[in-house]
Amino acid sequence: MVGVTGVAEQLLNGLTIGMVYVLIAAGLSVIFGVMDVINFAHGELFALGAYFAFAIVAPLGGAGFWVALVVAPLLVGVLGAVIERVTLRPLYDRNPLYHILLTFGLVLMLNDVITFFWGKQPKAFSEPSILSGPVTVLGVSNSLYSYFIIAFGAVLSFGTWWALNNTRFGLVVRAGSQDREMVRNLGINIDRYYTLVFGAGAALAAVAGIVLGAYQNVNPGMGNSVIIPAFVIVVLGGLGSFRGAVVGGLGVGIIQTLARTYVPVLEGLIVFALMIGVLLVKPEGLFGTSTGEGHGESEGELLAGRGGGVLTDRQRFGLGAVVVALLAVVPLGVEVLYSEYVLTLLTDVLIWALFALSLDFVMGYAGLVSLGHALFYGTGAYASVLVLLHFTSSAFVALAAAVVVCAAIAWVIGYLSIRVSGVYFSMITLAFAQLFYRAVFKLEWTGGSDGLFGADVLYGIGGFAMELDEIAEMVPMVSEEGLFYYFLLATVVGSYLVARQIMKAPFGSVLQSIRESERRTEFVGYDVTAYKRRAFVVSGAMAGLAGGLFAVESGFVAPSLLFWLNSGEVVVMTVLGGMGTLYGPMVGAGVYIGFEEVLASYTDQWQFFLGALFVLFVIALPRGLVSLPDKLVEAGAGGGRAGTSGGPGEAPSEEAEPLADGEVNE
Amino acid sequence: MSESSRLDAEACQNPLLDVSNIVAGYGATEVLHGVSLCVEAGEVVSLVGRNGAGKTTTLRSIVGNVVPTSGSVAFDGQDVTGLSPEETVRRNVAFVPEERRIFPDLTVAENLKVGQLGGGDTAESRDPEEVLEEFENLRDHPDRRGGALSGGEQQMLAIGRALVAGADLLLLDEPTEGLAPFVVRQVEDLVKNLNEEGIAVLLVEQNVEVALELADRHYVLDRGEIVYHGTSDQLRENEDVVDRHLGVSI
Ligand SMILES: Nc1ncnc2c1ncn2[C@@H]1O[C@H](COP(=O)(O)OP(=O)(O)OP(=O)(O)O)[C@@H](O)[C@H]1O
Ligand SMILES: [Mg+2]
Repeated sequence: MVGVTGVAEQLLNGLTIGMVYVLIAAGLSVIFGVMDVINFAHGELFALGAYFAFAIVAPLGGAGFWVALVVAPLLVGVLGAVIERVTLRPLYDRNPLYHILLTFGLVLMLNDVITFFWGKQPKAFSEPSILSGPVTVLGVSNSLYSYFIIAFGAVLSFGTWWALNNTRFGLVVRAGSQDREMVRNLGINIDRYYTLVFGAGAALAAVAGIVLGAYQNVNPGMGNSVIIPAFVIVVLGGLGSFRGAVVGGLGVGIIQTLARTYVPVLEGLIVFALMIGVLLVKPEGLFGTSTGEGHGESEGELLAGRGGGVLTDRQRFGLGAVVVALLAVVPLGVEVLYSEYVLTLLTDVLIWALFALSLDFVMGYAGLVSLGHALFYGTGAYASVLVLLHFTSSAFVALAAAVVVCAAIAWVIGYLSIRVSGVYFSMITLAFAQLFYRAVFKLEWTGGSDGLFGADVLYGIGGFAMELDEIAEMVPMVSEEGLFYYFLLATVVGSYLVARQIMKAPFGSVLQSIRESERRTEFVGYDVTAYKRRAFVVSGAMAGLAGGLFAVESGFVAPSLLFWLNSGEVVVMTVLGGMGTLYGPMVGAGVYIGFEEVLASYTDQWQFFLGALFVLFVIALPRGLVSLPDKLVEAGAGGGRAGTSGGPGEAPSEEAEPLADGEVNE
Repeated sequence: MSESSRLDAEACQNPLLDVSNIVAGYGATEVLHGVSLCVEAGEVVSLVGRNGAGKTTTLRSIVGNVVPTSGSVAFDGQDVTGLSPEETVRRNVAFVPEERRIFPDLTVAENLKVGQLGGGDTAESRDPEEVLEEFENLRDHPDRRGGALSGGEQQMLAIGRALVAGADLLLLDEPTEGLAPFVVRQVEDLVKNLNEEGIAVLLVEQNVEVALELADRHYVLDRGEIVYHGTSDQLRENEDVVDRHLGVSI
């Protein structure tokens, strides 16, 4: 009997968490279904609900909980509506990628607002006293509050379900999540519904935050930790499906809780594995209706950077050479003009530049938006350190291992995931990355949460290897760090040149034609999937090299290398610079890290400003920094090129200009 | 191009729909290179052409799913070029796109209801119940899921859904595609009935037989250009046009 009640107790706990998930996932799913917006900020709205509740309960005491349960969701709902109006509205005709970017900026901003007002320490507020204390039902005892969460969540879910099924508003929302363009074709201005959908979704997430806040605690990381499971649920259940969100939410809550108790090895892994499995068998999710394809409903294209225009190829080449030359003299000024720190910073920039370049290879050229590229970066780093620790101290061998391992993994993941397209591809890559992230915590030989460190690094192979400081002694004027910096610079420039060569080759032309029109490329007779897979392998290998370089330089690795925020950041850098141009993302990496550095030196709230900058940027300059010269010239010419009246997406405006073959690279 | 616009000047005295020289495409690819056509009130006109000729793109440009880069679309004397689909449709244009695009998870009644909501306040919308009455296959099963209907039923529903909001012009994209011959007859009858009620129809077809059966005038589209325009009799006589541009014989 003990076993049975034990299981029942765990089931109840799972159901409690599951109900919280349902409330989060329902909004997320409906928002995606209707608006095509992947809202990474949903987790922060959830956290904000909890913090508002904390702020209300703190002065009012126990009964404040009921006030908070009404007021906080309303506040968050209004905030959601404002966010939709101000930031998302200008982006509806664009590819979902831009929503991801935008909401990623919002994550940074909201999270910073939270730490600004409430600090980094966890806070707690308690449930009202009438809900505290345990109760025993059918021999199973659990806290009354737990039952309250389940009941309240069920009522709210049922209410939402009822509204979706019995109101005009709900009808349009459901129709819109099945075929938005058709709703328009029937004369309904669906944009008008978005504000309310977004606001309502935000309010539901806030409710989830409040009930969970009183159940556990309130902390700045709560949004970050809940958003990925929420995505998993949405994808599992089927994007846009309310029923899917409910079944998925409860299922994930229960499975997670049971796994924690009975198969701790699988905790954290099982859900991602489940999602990958479901997506491979049924890409549209358990209750999804379509994978958003067919129908020629255009997704809005990815806006590649425009490298051409103002600067000629030759000028740009010259500019590139100057930049590399400048980078090359930097170590000579260390300790004379500036401190060693400059070198550390630039080392960071170069590694991320390579990482961004690798992402651009698939995102900017083949149109594959990978949200899991940290997987390759982190795995490359782990592979290198493992080789250094267990096999040889040669940096070259370690880097080669990183490249080979990541290429192999990229092949497997590419094989499994490139058959699904668009958002589903993004999600499945995200899931794979989180799977690896979780796995390194669990595994013995990856050092768990501590990671691995203490690797010796030699440069050379076999008998001809030396430590870097020994070499440095033989070279005048350059320190050990300086030497590594040169090694890094050479590797990154070399990788860039290789990538450029590939893009100039027929292989590269096919990739670009895929990005412009997959249908046409297929029609002409290319095996689009095979090309994408190959690009993915190259990209994974390059990201692995970046991770390997990090490991060789720092001598340690930690699970955080694989965390999804890294994947997000590298996407940001790539778009910031201008995807679809090889140099753009590298510029983006430099600017991103530079901004971060400068902002951080002025204010503790740098994250907020970085996020805000980013939001502005995505709205105003989606083609990235590399298109800035063009924009300036355009503006200078009197802004005569105002876009065509923005029809849904396919309007062949000025923006849609393709990259002619000649101006593709560099 | 100049030839076809001359043809139009002759074709329509008082056009309900007047498409003039539109250029449109997707991203960098130009699909229509200056298409002109017109439809008079109460008339049935066909637009025929091979796979990929640009028929769908023409309809999408009229409705506003695609914004033409140049040229104009006028409806009932008013310029509607570049308007969003919802704005165009609210001027009493009904659009039934390729593949019908029934909302698969909504019931028959709900599908119609969405169409009705789109009518706005101005349009002389019809009662969904009444519309349902006209379609015997649907009438008895208002609660069936749209996705569970047969192709013919879906086509009927799509037409009904587009019409509940009231329409002067019906844009139909390949309504008979993939349907069994006897269902094709039903669709033909439906279109004839609607036309008798006074609704003008622009019918996109690959099936020239159906086009000849239903329409009075025909435009032949090939690679984004109108290459021929004539009445049914003229088209029947011009076997080489049909042969060359449509790849079928009649
Ligand atoms: N969403 C789209 N994106 C890019 N190209 C497209 C898109 N839709 C159509 N095209 C291209 O535009 C051209 C014309 O297509 P359209 O659908 O208008 O032809 P159609 O005459 O309707 O053909 P069908 O008889 O097959 O329906 C084709 O070459 C097609 O590949
Ligand atoms: Mg077509």
